[in-house]
Amino acid sequence: MRFSGLIVGLFFGGITTAMAQVGKTSRADTLYGSANEIVVTATRTEKKLGNVAVPVTLISSQQIAQAGSVRLADILQEQAGLFITTGFGAGVQMQGLNPDYTLILLNGEPLVGRTAGILDLNRITVGNIKQIEIVKGPSSSLYGSEAMAGVINIITTTPTKNEFALSARYGSFNTSDVNVRFNFLKNKFTYQGFTNNYYTNGFSLRPNSQTSFVTPINRFTQQHQLGYQLSDKTKLSGLIRFNQERITNQIAVENNGVIVNSEGKESNDDANFSATVMHRFNNSIKTSAKLYATTFTSEQELATTSGAPYTDYFKQHFLRFESQTDIAVSKNLETSVGAGYLVDRANSTRYDKKESTKENAVGYAFFQSEWKPLEKLVIIGGARYDHNALFAAAFSPKLALKYSMTNTLNFKASVGRGFKAPDFRQLYLNFTNTAAGGYSVFGAIEAQKIITALKGLGQIASIEQDYYSLAALQPEFSTGYHVSFDYAPSQKHNVSVGFFYNNINNLIDSRLVAYRPGGAQIFSYLNVKTAFTKGVELNVNHKIGKHYLISSGYQFLLSGDASELDKIEQGKVFTRDANGYSKLLNASEYVGLPNRSKHQFNLKLQYQKEQVFATLRALYRSSWYVTDTDGNGLYNTNDSKATGFIQLNATIGLPLTKNITMQAGCNNVLNYRDPINMPNFMGRTGFISINYSMKQSIEK
Amino acid sequence: MKKIIYTFFAFLLFAACTKENNTTKVEPVVSLTVNNLAADTIIGITPGVPPLGGMPYGAGKYTFYSIEKGAVVPSSDSATTKWDIAFRGTAILTNSGNGGPGAGGGFVYVGLFEDLKTVPSDSTFRTENVPTSYAIPFGSNKGWYVYDGLKNLVTPIPGRVLVIRTASGKFAKIEILNYYKGGVTPAATASDNVKMKDQRYYTFRYSFQPNGTKSF
Repeated sequence: MRFSGLIVGLFFGGITTAMAQVGKTSRADTLYGSANEIVVTATRTEKKLGNVAVPVTLISSQQIAQAGSVRLADILQEQAGLFITTGFGAGVQMQGLNPDYTLILLNGEPLVGRTAGILDLNRITVGNIKQIEIVKGPSSSLYGSEAMAGVINIITTTPTKNEFALSARYGSFNTSDVNVRFNFLKNKFTYQGFTNNYYTNGFSLRPNSQTSFVTPINRFTQQHQLGYQLSDKTKLSGLIRFNQERITNQIAVENNGVIVNSEGKESNDDANFSATVMHRFNNSIKTSAKLYATTFTSEQELATTSGAPYTDYFKQHFLRFESQTDIAVSKNLETSVGAGYLVDRANSTRYDKKESTKENAVGYAFFQSEWKPLEKLVIIGGARYDHNALFAAAFSPKLALKYSMTNTLNFKASVGRGFKAPDFRQLYLNFTNTAAGGYSVFGAIEAQKIITALKGLGQIASIEQDYYSLAALQPEFSTGYHVSFDYAPSQKHNVSVGFFYNNINNLIDSRLVAYRPGGAQIFSYLNVKTAFTKGVELNVNHKIGKHYLISSGYQFLLSGDASELDKIEQGKVFTRDANGYSKLLNASEYVGLPNRSKHQFNLKLQYQKEQVFATLRALYRSSWYVTDTDGNGLYNTNDSKATGFIQLNATIGLPLTKNITMQAGCNNVLNYRDPINMPNFMGRTGFISINYSMKQSIEK
Repeated sequence: MKKIIYTFFAFLLFAACTKENNTTKVEPVVSLTVNNLAADTIIGITPGVPPLGGMPYGAGKYTFYSIEKGAVVPSSDSATTKWDIAFRGTAILTNSGNGGPGAGGGFVYVGLFEDLKTVPSDSTFRTENVPTSYAIPFGSNKGWYVYDGLKNLVTPIPGRVLVIRTASGKFAKIEILNYYKGGVTPAATASDNVKMKDQRYYTFRYSFQPNGTKSF
């Protein structure tokens, strides 16, 4: 859908998500994420944010709207301690762990369809989001696989009154974003319909490039939520969501110096369906049963000007039934118990053949108790057991406590175990790059079979040592520790400082297992690595008067692999000096894992008076290492890195009339660009959006 | 044959000798840096597509080099003891075993070039039994280099010294510095065309002990 201009007159009778928040006075004097906000992700029960023993970051719809965000990646990249990674879509790096290890939930249900471990956060519109809850640190005790670095739960708005809402935005690169929302309440029935359409022409930072690195794309989302209050005690609810992406791009592929032009077409389709029954037996016992099904289908076709077209097909099916019961045993003791069964299936041309279905089934049970032995002390203990059909079982315990040292100072500590089960790609991938080098990657289950077959055909030149270590993959495990202090002398000021440490074992990494004649390499996956990440997170919020807010966040991060450090200590690792001669690598030159910045800082200045607001947000990211250029197999100060940078974003919003508001914004005001390391990081862009609202709601 | 540039910064390092034997003539240890030694550079691409076809190839000829003379030896002398080491792509051959008639051999020492002052007495010099085994092990991360198939680049591993026994049984140590033209590895983001065209040019430094002892 193209938007070649702003046609104000067309927007009628509504109030947008942005509008719904702007001018809201209830929290005018308090800070975002104040202790009274209700969150659900940390404990799987509704809890006031101030009472939760594990660290939770809350992003409100107001923050999303005022930042002018349209896709999930836009708003997450402005949070302290989260990095948006590029390549296979926008992924999120949390506490220094790769995007593979963060579970993304939509209303508590997992989103599926990862490519190379990355769930593209641009697939998710933020047009109908009530709040985003971010729980950092292992949360597998409640959520199972993938919740190793943390959990991001996107909670969409629920209808509370009859409403018709519409918003539209237009910006650089012919980018348009339109949201329509319709709420309908009658007797015991509630309905919300939501639709979003996003289009961009895409862009390339490289001059004269025919290929757009951010591809021209059309995204279309539809969501229907239904609720029915069967009785005082029983509620039924359901959700259906569809998301479509359509991409057409001109691609120039170079193979040994020969450039082949082709037209790439890609489609990505999500569908989600959930049905929930919630029943309250009495004041102390509540139970819910949920059926959730989701599919993700991705198809790519490259029609080259010469040769056969390249096609790629991936489909994932995920079906889950889950039940949870919350029991208030006494005033000081609450317990939740739950169990579920899920079936995960995938078909792909990336595996042996499209027709053969790969399947894993998991049965699991979990419990969690929250105990208040003292007025000032909350202790949470919980554990989950996941029984996998394909690989070893996982047991994930967690223990957390919160102690109120004074009325204004809280102490929190937690320790938990997280895991990530091997994914289908690591088990079944059968990929051969047909560009220069011609390397192949085979999943752990397939590798020996394929290599044996190739050997029979005389297509294996040599076998590497790691081939003999190929075995059934085990889940990756982490143990995470967290300690924090929160100090809130008033509703207008707060400071928090937290320390985290994650120790990861059994990491799956690709290893060279064989060579073909001619030297092409064959890789597979093994549980071979360990890693740690540790750091400090600092958040300060300060409200000045009624209208000004300064908030800032900082993350200091260190990462590494203990076995690499051991090798350096033993004097077995070398690098090169300015002359190119070898020299011993010093432990102080070791930089740990690549693609991680040591420092990240953000500062936000905000002015708000009723419907008028202005924000200025500065984001700083220090340099990060990208390539092991000295060939010693690890990352050190001699390797090539991307330089640190500052991104400056600004927005303003104001009412034009009583019913019309508008917003304008400029992202990356300083126009920072790095085509090599951040090819999809746009230069300076601008946008404008207009919202028209009719104040009276459609009465029941 | 490519032009070879020699950088001569020979210095006088006397082999460990005492007053008793300083009547014999002591030859200095020779130290040289060799730049841009072409080693079977790419002349074409095999038909088909990777991984079986579409691979760059050279003429398949080794470049022979005499450590003792500090010069390239014509391939017509390949069956003689006039050369000490030979290069073809990432493969390095010593004049030994089935590789040549000489009394050569070699092994890879893990450590610094400067720190290797004497060839350890318990060292085992390997000889050629190509293609089954090479004195200097052939393959990524086995001998002197690592090949990154994803980035399509060959990088010499720092801290690897090739200890070579020459065709006449004398000793030398070699550090490979670079595998690309001009001694500069292309950027990881460089085009495959550049990576292909500029590869198989060795830059290395070596020290040679002409007096037959194992000290440098």
